[in-house]
Amino acid sequence: MSDASAPTLLQSLSPGHQPTVEENLERGEIDQSTRLPVLAFFTTSLFWLLVGTVFAMISSFKLHSPEFLGDVSWLTFGRVRPAHLNTVIFGWASTVGIGVTIWLMARLCRTRLRHPRMLLAACGLWNLGLVIGTLGILGGDSTSIEWLEFPGYSTPLLFLGYALVGIWGVIMFRFRAPGHVYVSQWYLIAALFWFPWLYGSVQLLLIVHPVQGSIQAIVNWWFAHNVLGLWFTPMGLAAAYYFIPKVIGKPVHSYYLSALGFWSLALFYNWNGAHHLIGGPVPTWVISASIVASFMMFIPVTVVAINHHMTMRGKFHLLATSPTLRFIVFGAMCYTLVSFQGCLMAFRSYSKVYHFTQLTIAHAHLGMYAFFTMVMFGSMYYIVPRLVGCEWRSATLIKLHFWACFYGVILMMLTLHIGGFVQGLGLNNPNTSFEMITKSTIPYLIGRSLSGILLTIAHFVFAYHFVLMLLRLGRPQGEATLFTTPALPAAHDKTEPAAL
Amino acid sequence: MLLVTTIIFLMMAAFGAAAVVALCWAARTGQFKHMETSARVIFDANEPVGAVTDSFPPSQKKTPKTASKEKQS
Repeated sequence: MSDASAPTLLQSLSPGHQPTVEENLERGEIDQSTRLPVLAFFTTSLFWLLVGTVFAMISSFKLHSPEFLGDVSWLTFGRVRPAHLNTVIFGWASTVGIGVTIWLMARLCRTRLRHPRMLLAACGLWNLGLVIGTLGILGGDSTSIEWLEFPGYSTPLLFLGYALVGIWGVIMFRFRAPGHVYVSQWYLIAALFWFPWLYGSVQLLLIVHPVQGSIQAIVNWWFAHNVLGLWFTPMGLAAAYYFIPKVIGKPVHSYYLSALGFWSLALFYNWNGAHHLIGGPVPTWVISASIVASFMMFIPVTVVAINHHMTMRGKFHLLATSPTLRFIVFGAMCYTLVSFQGCLMAFRSYSKVYHFTQLTIAHAHLGMYAFFTMVMFGSMYYIVPRLVGCEWRSATLIKLHFWACFYGVILMMLTLHIGGFVQGLGLNNPNTSFEMITKSTIPYLIGRSLSGILLTIAHFVFAYHFVLMLLRLGRPQGEATLFTTPALPAAHDKTEPAAL
Repeated sequence: MLLVTTIIFLMMAAFGAAAVVALCWAARTGQFKHMETSARVIFDANEPVGAVTDSFPPSQKKTPKTASKEKQS
């Protein structure tokens, strides 16, 4: 479809418009049609990942060395920590998630991407909102509401940028090629619907017309928890449900289970957020309902875990030869872990110990980093070569990226879990002074900074590798779908040792 | 505040209704039928079931020239 024959936005939005469906499109043509918008979202997401990583390191060091950059007002902990949170949540995770969503939607709709300029405009608005919001936080204009610290004057830009993506998603779905709607598409369409609902509601209730008292906390945690479960999780699972079967060349183990997993997530997740307020001054029934719903989350999580594991059964050797698979399978395993942990965290007895400790931070990173970010890295390893037309430059850099992430995550989880547990036990002991508890956490916080250094190395290595790809300095091998079909690991071993 | 409350309740109703409509649409259009064959829609003639579609790039010691020669042979 040439630009001249491409439908206008008005035509795409018109209920009566009946486009010609291009059937049997080559996969390479579809991929190429997504090139500009997807690379724009990927490039900017990596920029925000690096910015967020720097903020993370500063915040982490300040926790055990408070004097570090202590005399620079815009780098005080109260500003750098929310700047880290918002740049990684909205700048990195949402942006890369949208990029992956665009690519997957075009592939799964089996049609060329429509309205790429609309997506480029969305990318511009979204990033403008991020720049203004981040500068606002650093300048002292934070709203002080966790996960929503961007000042009110930046959020309309974010919302407008997102709205264009949402509208584009509906258009793509409407004009998809006929056939079955694959489970990944269900997740993606749901995420595109859920995010404006979450973000719009919370902006209205906390920023535009703030509700009063403890209701603020309920709304806040309803958003903070659901943005993970109904925005990032569907995008991450959509990618896992597509890439795992696609890379190993084997259909999902049980498609019945995947449908059950999707609909049970849609039914139960929305109720979960209030379990973060156990013991707080909110109506008991709200918390009880949340605990029950959290427990019900065992259903979708178990279903997804069984499905992914059984799909991979007999194919685990491919982890040695596929970068995409290695990252995504690690992410999928962490999804199971973080979700089971989340279910358990809803219990009142467990909450007594972990609440207000580093364990909550560990849980958040297990979800946002070990699960979502790793799945996104894996997706990018698959997608980028198909957009720029060459293979990744160096297997060594990919392995360095993976292992730095892997050990960084493991170290962070160990230190924050043990440190959080020690901290929680101390807080529950009336004979332990607060000073002693604070001092007891310092070694664990130093451990967390060390893990941050590993993750920082990983991010800069990946960004460098990505820039090489953007400059087309990768390996000029293969065609649009690339890769020299390493059907058997033995064949692969001839060119590259399969050492992990 | 009344306006905000009304908007929120309308949004809740709209999104709740959208979920029900989506479920009904899926059932009506046969999305829950032939589940096992539906799992194969991501495969096609070029990338069939059984084809592995991702791997590490070849070792850096090999130049692109030698790698392409290898491929041709």
